[in-house]
Amino acid sequence: MKMDDLSDLAPQMAAGASPEVFHQLGMITRQLHDTLTQLGVMPKLQIAADGLPDARSRLNYIASKTSDAANKVLNSVDSAKVDHAHISSETRRIAEAIVKDPVKAVASGAVMNFVGDVEAATARIDQHLTDIMLAQDFHDLTGQVVAKVVSLATELEDSLVKLLVQAAPPEQAQKVEAAVLNGPVVNPEGRTDVVKDQAEVDDLLASLGF
Amino acid sequence: MSTPSDLKFLIVDDFSTMRRIVRGLLKEMGCNNAEEAEDGAVALNMLKSAKYDFVVSDINMPNMNGFELLGAIKKDESLKHLPVLMVTAEARKEDIVRAAQEGAAGYIVKPFTKATLEEKVQKIMQKLAATA
Repeated sequence: MKMDDLSDLAPQMAAGASPEVFHQLGMITRQLHDTLTQLGVMPKLQIAADGLPDARSRLNYIASKTSDAANKVLNSVDSAKVDHAHISSETRRIAEAIVKDPVKAVASGAVMNFVGDVEAATARIDQHLTDIMLAQDFHDLTGQVVAKVVSLATELEDSLVKLLVQAAPPEQAQKVEAAVLNGPVVNPEGRTDVVKDQAEVDDLLASLGF
Repeated sequence: MSTPSDLKFLIVDDFSTMRRIVRGLLKEMGCNNAEEAEDGAVALNMLKSAKYDFVVSDINMPNMNGFELLGAIKKDESLKHLPVLMVTAEARKEDIVRAAQEGAAGYIVKPFTKATLEEKVQKIMQKLAATA
């Protein structure tokens, strides 16, 4: 069935139902089809009955993860900048002291204090850089979720086409294959088949003798 | 007992970002000897053509996933001694149990902290030392 045929078919199938409904369904289907075609996504299987709530949950998860990552990076950069500014100002101060009276600068302990300050500040900056690196894990997690939402959208397109062609309520939608639901658990609340954190992983492995 | 700096790691993940993160964390643990593979098939070829001491693998990957890689490693006489630490977003209990049953040395769910990775790597190395 080609998309161009759908507009012609819709009125014929609408007997007993509002033509406007089919017209709007056709428009939605075409819009979705065009968008997916532009994205290079090919139509695939049927949509799951619970697909749309799941997609909302997944998109919320992406928004949450990217927001967390952005905040974490910005906070770490702010903190690193404070330490960096401290090193800069202390370097200028100690340089002036050494130029003015090198013996006094060393004897008073100012130079050693400066060295200690730099060491502590660089350790903190290193930790901030590690935090920034770790914050990038959102890419992996959200990437998997995006792939699943794209898959879901493709299935939605297929379902809408079928609905329009058959002019009848869609058959009982197939459950999404288990593999499709793999990946990050975006909402573990109320589920007993998944773990919520690493501590639960460790507990489960311990119960298995690990 | 070996330290991470003595070991050669193979990091297997289809997301380059995660490979870089794991590599960076291993570096902070003192390990500068780590290589990367983007899926299980590439990893298996690398494992058969060079010597590695430790595998850190994702599960959900194209071509050959982490379970398939784990199975291939444990079936291969020359590779089965390798510890395989699963680092994955798969949080389903059945996946964790399956990984344990199929011979994974550890299991970490993403997102994870540096401390978690360090703890698991150390724990696996201690076990290896104890059984050596």
